[in-house]
Amino acid sequence: MMELLNLWKGWLPELIDGYGLSLEVTALSLAIGIPLGLVLALAVPAKSRAIRITALTFVEIGRGAPVLILLQFVYFGLPTAGLTLTSFASAVVALACCTGAYTSEIIRAGFEAVPYGQKEAALVIGLNGVDALRFVVIPQGLRVALPALLGFSIMMLQATSLCFTIALPELVSRASNIGSTTFEYMPVLILAGLLFAAICVPATLFVSVLERRLGRHAVR
Amino acid sequence: MIMDLSAILKGVPWTIALTLASFIVGAALGLPLCAMRLSTNGVLRLTSTSIVVSCRSIPPIVWLFFVFFGIGNGLIAMSPFTAAVVGLGVVTAANMSEIYRGALTAIHPGQFEAAKVLNLTKSQQFRDVILPQLTRIALPSGATYLIGLLKDSAVASTIGVSDLAYQSYHVSQQTFRGLSVYAAAALLYILLSLPIAWLSRWADVQLRSRVSR
Amino acid sequence: MNSIASSFLESEPAASQRAGLTCGPILCVESVSKTYGTHRVLENITFQMQVGEVIAIIGPSGSGKSTLLRCINQLEPPNEGRVTIGGVTIDAGNPPARRDLVALRRKIGMVFQSFNLFPHLSVLRNVSLAQERTMGRSRKEADAKSMDLLARVGLADKASQYPARCSGGQQQRIAIARALALEPEIMLFDEPTSALDPELGLEVLAVMKELALSGMTMIVVTHEMHFAENVSDRVILMAEGHILEEGPSAEIMRAPKTERAAKFLSAVRDR
Repeated sequence: MMELLNLWKGWLPELIDGYGLSLEVTALSLAIGIPLGLVLALAVPAKSRAIRITALTFVEIGRGAPVLILLQFVYFGLPTAGLTLTSFASAVVALACCTGAYTSEIIRAGFEAVPYGQKEAALVIGLNGVDALRFVVIPQGLRVALPALLGFSIMMLQATSLCFTIALPELVSRASNIGSTTFEYMPVLILAGLLFAAICVPATLFVSVLERRLGRHAVR
Repeated sequence: MIMDLSAILKGVPWTIALTLASFIVGAALGLPLCAMRLSTNGVLRLTSTSIVVSCRSIPPIVWLFFVFFGIGNGLIAMSPFTAAVVGLGVVTAANMSEIYRGALTAIHPGQFEAAKVLNLTKSQQFRDVILPQLTRIALPSGATYLIGLLKDSAVASTIGVSDLAYQSYHVSQQTFRGLSVYAAAALLYILLSLPIAWLSRWADVQLRSRVSR
Repeated sequence: MNSIASSFLESEPAASQRAGLTCGPILCVESVSKTYGTHRVLENITFQMQVGEVIAIIGPSGSGKSTLLRCINQLEPPNEGRVTIGGVTIDAGNPPARRDLVALRRKIGMVFQSFNLFPHLSVLRNVSLAQERTMGRSRKEADAKSMDLLARVGLADKASQYPARCSGGQQQRIAIARALALEPEIMLFDEPTSALDPELGLEVLAVMKELALSGMTMIVVTHEMHFAENVSDRVILMAEGHILEEGPSAEIMRAPKTERAAKFLSAVRDR
């Protein structure tokens, strides 16, 4: 037992370093992806056919293709078309697109959950379409979507583990390196798993508490 | 282009096999796991909750590495495919047990009472009354999860399973035509998910048509 | 609003008469019909309304009362017929431009059965929002006007609170203030007290009575027979999508001409 803890103590700095990178990638992908999701959520039901179809295609591909394929498409595929990005940039681009696609559906569901009476009230007091969206639908829709968005963010953190395949030195790749050099795969992977759980478990708990509290304050 | 396509298509049967095998393992294991979650025994509840929570808080790739490099290397020798099925199967079991749990709470409590009162044995109660309703309610979430599992199966390529993702990687490395290869792979995954969506919608309609409202 | 503008508004009907337009009164509903699928909800509804009149629309459920109200402000566009308000006409045959719809809706205030206050905004902001966005008032101006209106409905002390903290009756009074904030020419009320228990309903009816006495043009769809008889000038009794009877409230309520109307009135009185 003591031996295990000592091993862990030795590996921890390296793993934390990689974890920091995972968190950076997650944060950036969400910061770019969620606003992108909002734009797509507004574009999918648009009146213009061109906008609708472009947005829908983007969303279907972003949600239908495995994250691994998206990552490798950006890192290995784009260079053959002339655009070469670092593994960090590739990770952020691919994950941001993925986030945008998934969150657009989450946010759209949030908008639909806003009671129809709210939209009617906005109409009768003379707000035009843009103002109705801005002041009535979006603020309420985002509140509804918040728990699902947070849940998705937790999944995004786990998804960064796949960036191992595009040579990003994040947590899993560091753990795998240590494993392949020391052959102590199980201990190092357990530690990596614990590090993931350290954030994901409290975060999941927080989201379910948040869901309950938001449900309580909603106006009937 | 056609040669590339036929090369990457070689991975499709593996992807399908892996997805189905993991799902069957997980859907089956999810039932006892769910039962443990709802048991009156505190120890069983704690164990199963820890399993479910850890499976859902740790990325699948870590589980796969753990099974293949950790257990596979030292304790038991196993092929990449077996390791992937075990790893993904365990994660699926955890997720399916949550889906079952949700579906069970959606079944009206009166159903359980009626089954008991009719003097059916416990297994008869489960098999004839609860299970059919459970299947009907859990079907949509289960199908959604299956589509997610199809995409997650790509992670098995990292431990050497020669699935669609694995073939795409190797073809792109050899031919440097990564753009078209990965685009084709993405399209193939999307196409593979369509039958699941259609089948689940068909099955849902079939099951619901026999239910009185 | 200054007195020049308000006197201009009052002279508008006369101006449109001189111009030879067909609708002198403030509201003309001509042959309005509405169908949902195969179900004919409104059948050839025609009536007119003068400035300052208060009309109560009563009748059994499913008679189309709420639908008629929603056709007037185009929340549900009618399938046939014309609606003219203060000189602006919307014809079912010609779908109106967005701008015309917005212009029409600013002349009409509406109060819903389920209040529909914005839960994420404070009471004050609920009343001020439309003033800022559609009337171009500054934040200060709008807030000042909102406080006046909230005082008028007796809720100035609730200004900084959120709707969830207010009772149903209070929320409905705030909804009335919000609708009045746009200085509409006509106020529509869609069963304003149906979702309230009788005690809370009374506070809302009191505000509506004060509004009526101050000269506001109002159409109220209601089950409150006391209001229909004593506060409104005219009553329209609807059944199965038709206007069954129409006339001065005292006349209709006490001496209905048709058997159907008599049956309905005696049923509601006995409750």
